[in-house]
Amino acid sequence: MAVVARALHTVGIRPRFRWRETALLSIVGLTLLAGWASLQSHREGELTLGDLTLPGVYLGTLAAVHVAFVMTGRRMDQLLFPAAALLGGLSLLLMERLPQDLAAQSFFGRLLPLAPLQLLWMVLGFCVLGTLAIVVRNDGWLRRYKYSWAALGIFLLLLVFVFGDSVGGSRLTLRIGPLAGQPSELLKVILVVFLAGYLAENRALLSVASTRLGPIRLPPLPYLAPMMVMWGLALAIVIVQRDLGAALLFFLVFLALLYVATQRASYVIIGLALFAAGALAVYELFPHVRVRVDVWLDPFADPLGAGYQVIRALYAFGRGGILGTGLGAGLPQVGGTPSIPAIHTDFVFAALAEELGLLGGLAILAVYALIAQRGLRIAARAADDYRALLAIGLTLVIVVQAAIIIGGNLRLVPLTGITLPLVSYGGSSLIVNSIVIGLLLALSDRGVEPPPLPGQRAGRVERLRRRARRVGGKLEEAVS
Amino acid sequence: MDAFTVSLWILRLTFVVLIYLFFFFVVRALWRDLRSTVVGAGQALARLVVVASPEGRPMAGTALPLDAVNTIGRDVNNSIVVDDTFVSAEHAALTFRGRAWYVEDHGSTNGTWLNGQRVESFLPLGYGDELQVGQVRLRLERPQA
Amino acid sequence: MNGPARPEGRLEALRRRLPTRRRRAPLPLIGRSGARPAPVAASLLRLSLAVLLAYGGLAGGLAYWQVVEAQRLSSDPQNPLVLAAARQAPRGSILDATGTILARNVQGSGREPLRQYPVPEAAPVVGYSSPIYGTSGLERAYDAQLTGLRSLRQGDELFRKFRAQPYDPNDLLISLDVRLQRAAARLLGDRHGAVVAIEPATGRVLAMVSNPTFDPNRLVDPETGRRYVARLRERDDSPLLNRATQGLYVPGSVFKIVTASAGLGSGSIRPETTYESQPEEYETGFLVSGFRIRDFPRNFQTDHPLDLYEATEVSSNIWYAHAGLDTGPENLLEWARRYGFGERLPFELSTQPSQVTGGDGPLEGFLDRVELANAAYGQGQVLVTPLQMALVAATVANEGLLMRPKLVDSMRSASGQETRLGPESWRQVLSPSQARVISDAMQLAVEGEFGRQLAGRARVPGVPTAGKSGTAQLAEDQDPHSWFIGFAPADNPQIAIAVIVERGGAGAQQAVPMAGELMEHYLGLPR
Repeated sequence: MAVVARALHTVGIRPRFRWRETALLSIVGLTLLAGWASLQSHREGELTLGDLTLPGVYLGTLAAVHVAFVMTGRRMDQLLFPAAALLGGLSLLLMERLPQDLAAQSFFGRLLPLAPLQLLWMVLGFCVLGTLAIVVRNDGWLRRYKYSWAALGIFLLLLVFVFGDSVGGSRLTLRIGPLAGQPSELLKVILVVFLAGYLAENRALLSVASTRLGPIRLPPLPYLAPMMVMWGLALAIVIVQRDLGAALLFFLVFLALLYVATQRASYVIIGLALFAAGALAVYELFPHVRVRVDVWLDPFADPLGAGYQVIRALYAFGRGGILGTGLGAGLPQVGGTPSIPAIHTDFVFAALAEELGLLGGLAILAVYALIAQRGLRIAARAADDYRALLAIGLTLVIVVQAAIIIGGNLRLVPLTGITLPLVSYGGSSLIVNSIVIGLLLALSDRGVEPPPLPGQRAGRVERLRRRARRVGGKLEEAVS
Repeated sequence: MDAFTVSLWILRLTFVVLIYLFFFFVVRALWRDLRSTVVGAGQALARLVVVASPEGRPMAGTALPLDAVNTIGRDVNNSIVVDDTFVSAEHAALTFRGRAWYVEDHGSTNGTWLNGQRVESFLPLGYGDELQVGQVRLRLERPQA
Repeated sequence: MNGPARPEGRLEALRRRLPTRRRRAPLPLIGRSGARPAPVAASLLRLSLAVLLAYGGLAGGLAYWQVVEAQRLSSDPQNPLVLAAARQAPRGSILDATGTILARNVQGSGREPLRQYPVPEAAPVVGYSSPIYGTSGLERAYDAQLTGLRSLRQGDELFRKFRAQPYDPNDLLISLDVRLQRAAARLLGDRHGAVVAIEPATGRVLAMVSNPTFDPNRLVDPETGRRYVARLRERDDSPLLNRATQGLYVPGSVFKIVTASAGLGSGSIRPETTYESQPEEYETGFLVSGFRIRDFPRNFQTDHPLDLYEATEVSSNIWYAHAGLDTGPENLLEWARRYGFGERLPFELSTQPSQVTGGDGPLEGFLDRVELANAAYGQGQVLVTPLQMALVAATVANEGLLMRPKLVDSMRSASGQETRLGPESWRQVLSPSQARVISDAMQLAVEGEFGRQLAGRARVPGVPTAGKSGTAQLAEDQDPHSWFIGFAPADNPQIAIAVIVERGGAGAQQAVPMAGELMEHYLGLPR
């Protein structure tokens, strides 16, 4: 062992073992195999492991990424990647279990059905994840060009708006040759990158209360403007595209970041008031929103029409009970048609909860809670405000999105058409959420380059303060 | 209930049990993390173990308890006095900021090195990392329980 | 950091800005920074709490649907699983009180089992279970139990999935007596109408016939079903409607029993109450706000004021109009409500609510005193179901205690578990003495010197019989509905009955003899 280590050392490779990650990934592997065997045995009517190609490829990918982390000696969080791997494993089991013709795409002349297609995206996603986690050593490329990123995001959205295809009434998909993507998935990361940069630079100013509006003390309004514009634009386009889930996600993440950066509850109160007003206006203005909300309030009013999906999901939960029906024994199909429309995208949680029961459903919730814990811990240990805000934003993007769609499945909030991160079928969603996990891993690395000193590249406050010092005044005068 | 149904259910429950085994390990890891960060009042935040010290001031093998702010140098006003020929009077600072340790070079003549890398302005470091000031090598370690 | 400050001074300055142990936030130590807002990390605790709360809520929601609501969802007849199980799972049989099979499973030509109905006369009660048209009747009301989707045993849900045969279908043992049911169907023949017979002491339904009806065997047959249903739906006499529970009819004189109950119950009239103006009004009619109420022409009991017994015996509209006006709208409505008017009856099959008035007038719902007076003898806007009137008769027979009507006596699961559904009392409508007064009056209406001429043919030979006939006037050019409600033996009631023959003419012509024959038949059956 020592000999190998020394040999590696001489060629510049300094491995650092990650035993926790190794152990957790092993359990994920065993879990996937047990699930696979139970699914295939149910199908065949005899005990069998079935064809192990798909889980083999998946586990191989996990192992490769893990080995890469070890060999490059990265000192990153060891729980985050296994959590993502567990979600991916559940996703693979579910996709194998669902009718394979729910989605099919041709690659290089070969038609891939649902499960192999999802596996392909997952492998690509984990490669992106591993590469980002290993390669990203400083955050300058994100920190410095926040306005460029914002512009790119808006450009992407406009592109979809002009050239996008409509799928199910929402204009979401952008087609380039054989590839189709949903840029609003990428937009959520870009929004976080921008907000983190902007807030980190201006939080001192934003948290000073200078404007008074009755009993509420507001920060200087001009400093809120660029952010509000960015947010409003994203929201407006998203509403026009009828992507309510993304709109809700953007809003909640925005509000959370604003609160964390400024620690002013007044922002949250104003934000929620704005939200209530906006929600009411949207409810009155857009019939599709009204339908969603009415279905949420009483799905049984129109059980075969608008309420169909939601009611079917509830039946699935009820069928699952505490222990579930067992993998493969659920009822995703009745008489040739899927029992829940969009079962492989919007309703994966209902499908999994049916077959894995309350125990499995709680486990899925726990994985997202784990991701939240790791992400916020990374934020707590971050070297500076920017990294903390970035980590919080990236974490919330996954955790809040999962909560919105699970809540929709459970009829706790109105149903919106967004994916369950890292589980739902869909290339864009998988790749983007892998990017998020990859960036979080990179942020958690204790060996990365430190953030620039506050004096090195001064933000607005620093410049003002320096100017103030030069003229012999005080900061407060300069600010006001 | 036939043998197949029984074994299929055993398989299914194994699957669920494995998922919860995952969480058992996770919770154990979290618990250990928590214990390692909870430090009793009046206790050192960490220790700096002297790995090598050719001139013997301090002695190799000594464990120096660390405060939140530690300055390293030859001057006696430093919190950690390293009396080595190649160490400047005000050589470096080792600070605990929130939850991470940082080493900062204070313009020393011969530089501060972290795991063989020159510390230009400042770098974060973790437990097990090795610092070098002058000829003295120091390793950051967890505080003793 | 290489300013002129002396080392000790700088160190002190550094220490002064030291965070206390609790603050997890990084201290902006390096680089010159003045007053900055509290570090980002400070609000992480609150954010974590919010995330934790949200996920706790999700977990709660999941547990609610998967544990609390699981059973209700899994036995909802709209649930595709329920439909799928109904197609494939063996379904329990339905048996009558004598053990005759009313519905059972047979192997169809395909893989799916087919439902067979050996006694098609029971169709209004049993209903059907068809893969195409779903379920109706008892097949619908007890769908979950027949398929075994809803377990009878508590705590069974958790372990059901481990069994090879996950469902435990139940047989239904119902109170219907197939001999009486067949006799009623035969007597009704092809006349439109309904018969409901109830055991007064328990509320058990002994017979329930509705005509025209359908043949459930032809309806569930996968080959002929579609054509048969299409033909049934084309007809304008609604053969799929169960007239006994859902048909609303003008009751005519049988409603006088409800008026008498309200009058006696509220104390507004007594058994010996007479109206002195009556002999004169027999000739001229009783004038209420310009509307003239008349009795049916008769050649007896016209020369003196009548009391409750005599008025019931000869079915005097004038006496009951007086009594109704004296009783008042509140009391009439209140006692009708006690009988079950105005609500869907708590019964296994779906029912239509019966009504005393349309309910939009100023007089407690009545338009005016004319409507109230008319309602008192069963005209006006009174509309009743045959089941409701059978309950009125059964209540009088059961000393004023109304029992909940019911069909299913017990359920027997395939694994041998038996669940009895015992009789349940619903309301005390009248006191036993008040009920006895009405019972005596009803006995006079069948057996009395004058009553005999109207309803004598309802009498069961050798058995004291009580009853009331009715002739429900419809529009001018239509024959009236022929009604009878009653019970026997009057001193120890075994059966209460309601018979209606649509457009059957006067009560005496059609409903009365049919009811008599059915009661006689039932009392003569070996038990």
